[in-house]
Amino acid sequence: MTAAFTLNAVSHHFDGAAALREVSLSAAPGERVALLGPSGAGKSTLLALLDGRLRGWHGEAGVLGVPLSATHALPRELRTGAGFIFQEFALVDRLTVYQNVMNGRLARMRTWPSLWGRFGEQDHLKVAAALEDTGLSGLARRRADQLSGGQRQRVAIARCLAQEPRLVLADEPVSNLDPAHAERILGLITGAADKRGIGVVFSSHQPELARRFAGRVVGLRAGAVQFDKPSGQVTSDDIDALYHGAAPGAGLRVVS
Amino acid sequence: MGRGLVWIVLALAILWSAASAEMGLDKLPGAAPRLGEFLGRMMPPDLSVWREVLQGLAETLRIAILGTFFAVLLSAGLAVLAAETLVPAAVWRPVRGLLAMIRSIPLILVAMLMVGAVGLGPLPGILAITFHATGMLAKFYAEAIDNVAAAPVAALESAGASRTQQLRWAIWPQMAPVILRDTVFRFELNLRESLILGVVGAGGIGLYVQTYVRSFQYDKAATVTMAIVVLVLASEAVNSALHKRFS
Repeated sequence: MTAAFTLNAVSHHFDGAAALREVSLSAAPGERVALLGPSGAGKSTLLALLDGRLRGWHGEAGVLGVPLSATHALPRELRTGAGFIFQEFALVDRLTVYQNVMNGRLARMRTWPSLWGRFGEQDHLKVAAALEDTGLSGLARRRADQLSGGQRQRVAIARCLAQEPRLVLADEPVSNLDPAHAERILGLITGAADKRGIGVVFSSHQPELARRFAGRVVGLRAGAVQFDKPSGQVTSDDIDALYHGAAPGAGLRVVS
Repeated sequence: MGRGLVWIVLALAILWSAASAEMGLDKLPGAAPRLGEFLGRMMPPDLSVWREVLQGLAETLRIAILGTFFAVLLSAGLAVLAAETLVPAAVWRPVRGLLAMIRSIPLILVAMLMVGAVGLGPLPGILAITFHATGMLAKFYAEAIDNVAAAPVAALESAGASRTQQLRWAIWPQMAPVILRDTVFRFELNLRESLILGVVGAGGIGLYVQTYVRSFQYDKAATVTMAIVVLVLASEAVNSALHKRFS
């Protein structure tokens, strides 16, 4: 089987500042990987790269057996492979929950009927299943802007599932939620992925959640991989170094 | 100091405006009885002209509808060129400048120019409304485009939706209520403003106001005035109903 993703010496710069430095990383299909690190560590950049949305990077990268290009977007039939759960949910506020979830299936439809809202039997079934899995069946007809934060998060997850991805990418999926909600949402994402036999890569700045819900934790700092270990082997020293140690390659700077 | 200067300038402006021999302030004491007499001659309104009034109203309505229709078509195209998020500043800045210039020309002036260009009748009225309304509508549409949140569009793109699908299911749902509200608002303005177009010969009920007042048939002018009030109130009612529906 092909790897979920492989990165070989990938670097990226935003306005001259390094966002990713020589990152080499890969994951097996079905593997659960947490990207851990302080804000600005490059977690979001790395996830955008895996989603095929980043341009202008250097190195080699492939997702689900498809090589990514630093200059061109993936052809749209290949974009369904990786499903992305956006940090701010990215829902269309004025549409219903049902239509927002249906939006995840647009790539699998013929364009013309989809523009008139004529969706196939299969599409309706998949949307219903995604709503069921996320506990949203009762809210299907509600407008997205009438939901609570936690409910909106679940709509974003349902849309991702309706896309039938072979890899789930989630950018800080629980950063806006209280601890109880955070656990439920991470449980929901990883549970749904397990049910479908697909892998998950999520970013977080909360070490306990990363260790609990991922099989493997990748510590990122200043755009570089600081450690890459099975969850059980991540020590508190690793965490301390990640958040309080000196940035690799940055050297010491006197800030006055 | 600065505040005192403002007051002085203000006082001077008022004095300058009032200090004119041609103001005819001496007419003021006699104005009230004359106004009373004028209103008295409007009573009772002569309803026998209802046929002309209806015809005039229908023409005004048609001018407003067609003027709005063509303004919507023009604005749709111009809005794209005036949208900061779609085209470079070298394009949207001059286009917005042009729209501001169009907005600054009063409708009645445009209508007079159009009458000069194409002659009397509803056509110059329609052209004037189209021109005038586009200045505002294209700007509103451009703002509707610029206010579309990018994240939901990016989400659909990430999921593999085509460009037209993104337009239909992420961009349009965000824009549609705004566009609709702006268009209805502009239509109501067009209707109100086109009521007076007839005064300069650009069609509609304004012609009858002009004719009846000039020929001292105040009872007939009263009927026309009442019809106009009814039309404006009706359009306001429709507008506020739509406002509630699409918020």
